[in-house]
Amino acid sequence: MYGKRKKDAVADAELERLGRALVRASATNEAEAEAVASSPFLYTRLRARIGEEQARRAGAETWRTLLGVVWRSVPAMALVALFAFILFWTSNFSSAGGATLSPGVLSDEALMDARDAGIENVVFAERRALSSDDVLATLIQQDEREVSR
Amino acid sequence: MDERADNSDTITLESSPANSTAELSDVELVSRAATGGDETAFEELFRRHRRRVSLIASRFFRQREQIEEVVQESFMKAYFALPDFTNQQENSFASWIARIAFNACYDELRRMKRRPESASGDMSEEEVAWLKSQIRTTGAGDDVEAAAIARDLADKLLARLSPEDRLLLVMLDVEGLSVAEIGETNNWSISKVKVRAHRARASLRRVLERFL
Repeated sequence: MYGKRKKDAVADAELERLGRALVRASATNEAEAEAVASSPFLYTRLRARIGEEQARRAGAETWRTLLGVVWRSVPAMALVALFAFILFWTSNFSSAGGATLSPGVLSDEALMDARDAGIENVVFAERRALSSDDVLATLIQQDEREVSR
Repeated sequence: MDERADNSDTITLESSPANSTAELSDVELVSRAATGGDETAFEELFRRHRRRVSLIASRFFRQREQIEEVVQESFMKAYFALPDFTNQQENSFASWIARIAFNACYDELRRMKRRPESASGDMSEEEVAWLKSQIRTTGAGDDVEAAAIARDLADKLLARLSPEDRLLLVMLDVEGLSVAEIGETNNWSISKVKVRAHRARASLRRVLERFL
């Protein structure tokens, strides 16, 4: 029992040592690091990338500002909708009671500029449309007048 | 934390910024870059710390493009976060940029892990034989060939670990950071770092056991 445990501990220590050696071996890459650091246009490329990122952030900022404006306008629009609904409801309530409109309350007709369609129909009905016979008669009369001259 | 800012060859590569910025401390440069939008101040910061950031990236990535990607990502994040550095009144810009670089490496490791094409390749018989021989010797060989085999093998084995485990093992065994420094870098408590380190080592042992 003790012997097995000791053997396992030794094996673990060996693996640990090998593991450390491999990690160090993997991290040995100074030549490439030096090549990258000495790259002549590294800073130029970095500046270009920073410029791209700045442009991207500016675009995102514009959208955020726009969304902020829309978000702030929501309560105002809700208030307007509520006000319109109250007006509409009040006018309906007044009409249903058969009472005339009080001077301070606007009707929905006044708000929406909706005229009574029935009146317009009456107006159209009173107008006499020209028939084909009327048109023909007018033309014949004109011809006769010209002939008589 | 290791703060190896590179001031040695600030004049040799690319056009050097104004002499006035070269004499300023990192904190003063950050202040000028963040509040006044001084481009030369930021360029000077980049010039001083690019080697350190490249070195951190090279601990995790083999290809040059990946290393450059991490370098650019780190400095870009630093550029936009300069006011945060000023507000926090941190003493060391080197520590701060190193922390950003480690986080950028961690993000890149996670991205790689998600990509199916970056899955770790199988190990060859020679590699397994080499691994078995190494367990009997005192350490990795010193010759170039052995180093190359060790590097390829290590890449394949470490690719099987989670990004957190890999980050932690590199910080501990390669960078030699203390538990407190690792906690500060990752915003972890000290006990969490210890637990995660223990788990990371156990994960690596399990990966090795599979091939031995």
